Amino acid sequence: MNRTTRTFGSVTLGEKLPPLKIDVTAGLIVGGALASRDFTPVHHDKAAAQATGLPDIFMNILTSNGLMGRYVTDWTGPEAALKSIEVKLGAPNVPGMVMTITGEVTAKDDAAGTVIVSVSGDNNVWGTHMAGKVCVALPKES
Amino acid sequence: MTPAETSAFEAKIRAYVGREMGPPKRGNDDVNLAMIRHWAEVTGDENPLYTDAEFAAASSRKGIIAPPTMLGIWAMEGYPMAQGHTGKVDVQRELHNIFEAHGFTGVLGTNTITEFHRELRPGDQVISHTVIDNISAPKKTARGHGYFIETVTRFTDQHGQDVGRQVFRTLRFMPSAESVAANQAQSGGDAKLKAPTRIQSPRGHDNAWWWEAIDQGKLLIQRCKRCGTLRHPPRPMCGECQSLEWDSIESSLEGEVYSYTEVSYPKFPGYPDPLLCGLIQLKEGTRLVANIVGCVPEAVHVGMKVRGKVERVDDATVLPNFYPA
Amino acid sequence: MAATISDKAAIVGIGSTEFSKDSGRSELALAAEAVKKALDDAGLKPSDVDGLVTFTIDQNEEVDVARAVGCGNISLYARVPYGGGAATGTLLQAAMAVASGVAEVVVCYRALNGRSGQRYSAGVSGTLITGSAIHYGYYMPFGLLTPASWVAMFTRRYMHLTGCTQDALFEIAQATRDYAVRNPAAFFYQRPMTRADYDAGKKICNPLTLYDCCQESDGGCAIVVTTPERARHLKQPGVSIRGVAQCIAKDQEEMTSFYRPDIARIPEMDVAADEAYAQCGLSAKDIDAAVIYDAFTPIVLWQLESWGFCKYGEAADFVQAGNLRPNGRLPSNTHGGQLSEAYIHGVNGIVEAVRLVRGTSVNQPKKAVHHALVTSGVGVPTGGAILGRMT
Repeated sequence: MNRTTRTFGSVTLGEKLPPLKIDVTAGLIVGGALASRDFTPVHHDKAAAQATGLPDIFMNILTSNGLMGRYVTDWTGPEAALKSIEVKLGAPNVPGMVMTITGEVTAKDDAAGTVIVSVSGDNNVWGTHMAGKVCVALPKES
Repeated sequence: MTPAETSAFEAKIRAYVGREMGPPKRGNDDVNLAMIRHWAEVTGDENPLYTDAEFAAASSRKGIIAPPTMLGIWAMEGYPMAQGHTGKVDVQRELHNIFEAHGFTGVLGTNTITEFHRELRPGDQVISHTVIDNISAPKKTARGHGYFIETVTRFTDQHGQDVGRQVFRTLRFMPSAESVAANQAQSGGDAKLKAPTRIQSPRGHDNAWWWEAIDQGKLLIQRCKRCGTLRHPPRPMCGECQSLEWDSIESSLEGEVYSYTEVSYPKFPGYPDPLLCGLIQLKEGTRLVANIVGCVPEAVHVGMKVRGKVERVDDATVLPNFYPA
Repeated sequence: MAATISDKAAIVGIGSTEFSKDSGRSELALAAEAVKKALDDAGLKPSDVDGLVTFTIDQNEEVDVARAVGCGNISLYARVPYGGGAATGTLLQAAMAVASGVAEVVVCYRALNGRSGQRYSAGVSGTLITGSAIHYGYYMPFGLLTPASWVAMFTRRYMHLTGCTQDALFEIAQATRDYAVRNPAAFFYQRPMTRADYDAGKKICNPLTLYDCCQESDGGCAIVVTTPERARHLKQPGVSIRGVAQCIAKDQEEMTSFYRPDIARIPEMDVAADEAYAQCGLSAKDIDAAVIYDAFTPIVLWQLESWGFCKYGEAADFVQAGNLRPNGRLPSNTHGGQLSEAYIHGVNGIVEAVRLVRGTSVNQPKKAVHHALVTSGVGVPTGGAILGRMT
């Protein structure tokens, strides 16, 4: 990631973030589940996932949440501070898919020095996996 | 379930609304560098504040912080609870057991709203205070019929200070029998999921020749053999002179944008993003719908000169695309 | 020459179910309830019904509705194609039947689980709902898959030609919302919308954003039509069908008439309007209030032009001058329309037009409503009806 940080003033409303492609592998799904201490079988056991009607194991929401946070701070740089994240999941991410994350600055709060980035993660098979809003505080000057 | 069974079940689950999960609970692990690094590795997060002590010390944070998105992770119960390997059952597990006993075996986190009130550092304790805030009315979802359970967790630290809050919504659902059967039937093979392609036009008497020419890289325009009128989309009879005899000409692919739209929602798998659809006025006089490519959406305008190219857009589809001329 | 259908039939009963996002019931349950309520409103019994008319896309078979409600012998059953384009077309079928004596009491119904069941916003992306896949084949591979995407194409062209801006679309959206705020049956009851709310709406297909698009709803509506003679002896004051017409215009396609010399207007509605006015000898100046099909905001503009409330290209100014509002020239969609009450394929609009003539709308204009216009869905073959007080 870029180690310099965007300033509040340099960000414009409607600005689009560069898209990020994530290969959804079994490794990412299981790794994300374990790193988030989520041992629910559907995130590591294919038979358990199939018993709930899906073709394979699927990404847990904490990993999606983590990827969304990372996507925004990759763009802001390290001196920004996450204030809140809202994530809504749609279609599951299962191994073999490619998820493209896109974002756009949809609000700026001058008093608080925060911007809202609306983020969407769309997989190439079923469409929208996650949609949400990330609120991040940016420094006034670098 | 019969209506009577359903109302007995609903009475049971609703009794949990408003209940605390138990006494405030300190996470099994306090905030620590190892778990931070594992999380940063798997999410591909290279933010130096999480893993580069030197950089972090020189930054405004004056030291390593945990990725804020780990807030709820510090409070996760871990393997024994998820596997039912432990004698102890907390209130949330108890509620989930009731759902499972009634056939709501599916579970899916669907929404989280997380607020970060203070950044956490290695050594911090995270104490969670969780309430089962709401259980929805029964819902039909794409996965099956079920209920949304919403918990609200307040997180505090070793000083009793507030560090954040998380609303977590989980769907408990009865997996639909068809989707389970369909997926178990294919579970023998590990065929890779196929990337979807554009929705194809069916091909019949009146249009197959036009699509076949597209497959060959040509955009044709149907022409009445008797009066010479051009027509698109193709149809069997000339509306001007009623002749059934027709041939075609090949388009120059030169034209201009007569109207357009950017299709933003819903997004369909197999289509590009951004997706620009143009109504193209061809030099020959007919119009057709096709995608405008090779420019940003903001650049498209009525009257824009475009030039077409018939090209492959995915494994199954060849289409005319129009580029700014 | 004008047909002689004018004042040959009257609406004597209206009925609606609750409108919702998840009815939790079958579409047949909704249809039966709406039909029964309309009969009760008229003071008629199920055994009085001898005609049933609905949409081709309605999933409720006439035999099932008749049996569910307890009708006797049915001598007229007819369906009108093209989705919401069928709305006032059902009145035309009913009026022709009672005028010719084929039937005496005809019920027009439409009931759907349009949100919890099959959603029309999915367009032709899934299973084709109507029409021929060959036709939509010229649009599907390019991603022009939904009603919003087809309407957007006309809208962009119209804005280009006339200078109409988003301000006009907002005014239509907000006018219906303000009516819905006062209508307890409406989805947006007590939920007003500011310009900022509108501007924050999700992008759909530009220039259309979320609040330019109608609801998707579960619900049902029914209308009882009979002869003027019988209407005089029933519970409610009869509402006469003064004129009713429908049209497929030259070179029309289903939702994608992109190939005519001018695509930024609705020729089929121009023809239907002329015909309906000619039937009763009325003109735009005689229309006191209207229910204009509003699946999307811009389609209201073109219909105002078709029905002669303003000249071509002037509809944006007409609506921005407040003319759709309670004290405007043409209070319109006073129930909240399909944008803000519910999307029952325009049949809730017929119900509202009847209320306007009866004087019983929750947003009844202060001025006397002698004649109300109600229109059908556009893009598809369409039409409209002029309703008036029975004389």
